[in-house]
Amino acid sequence: MSRTEDERPASDPGKRTADAELAVARMTEMSVDMRGCAVLGGDGEELASSGGSGWARAGAAFLEAADSAQGEPAVQVHVATEDGEAFAVREGELAMVAVAERFTLASLILFDMRTVLRDLASGNGVPDRRAPVQEDP
Amino acid sequence: MSPKPHRILIERVSGYADEAGAYLRRRRATRQPFARVFYAGDRSAAFEPGTEEGRALFLAASRMIDAADR
Repeated sequence: MSRTEDERPASDPGKRTADAELAVARMTEMSVDMRGCAVLGGDGEELASSGGSGWARAGAAFLEAADSAQGEPAVQVHVATEDGEAFAVREGELAMVAVAERFTLASLILFDMRTVLRDLASGNGVPDRRAPVQEDP
Repeated sequence: MSPKPHRILIERVSGYADEAGAYLRRRRATRQPFARVFYAGDRSAAFEPGTEEGRALFLAASRMIDAADR
């Protein structure tokens, strides 16, 4: 008997990828200045991305540069350049990297990234936080 | 004659909007490229583009921006 999406265990690679895709979709929807983002797994592999290509390599290099800047693992990175702003957030073995328009409100982007990634890392899926939970009458 | 209450509210809201617009204009005019890395325990460090670490961060960020635009 086949299992539905919600019944699969959190360790199931298929569910993990589906959750990562949901996380990317939610992130893209929430942040209007977002140009693209991706979720990377523990080995630096790309679990999901909003488009573009080469996220795994570029994201891993970005995290590597941040880690080696002071010789310790970074939990959050923000680099603002003339062409746009690059962000990275780590949660457990997962990482989310994102690129936004210049002069975006960085604190909001980082807050959204942290929230989505924390939900994803918990293994309980990515809840829809856009509206209050509707109680059954 | 005192102004109508809704007019006071509208003037106040538009005053706040003007202030917010001015803040964003100042921010655009004065903001320079920067790199900031945050570590566990609420610590952070800024890296200038002229340093080796800063150069590596800006280069990696540019590659990621390219990946997003590809």
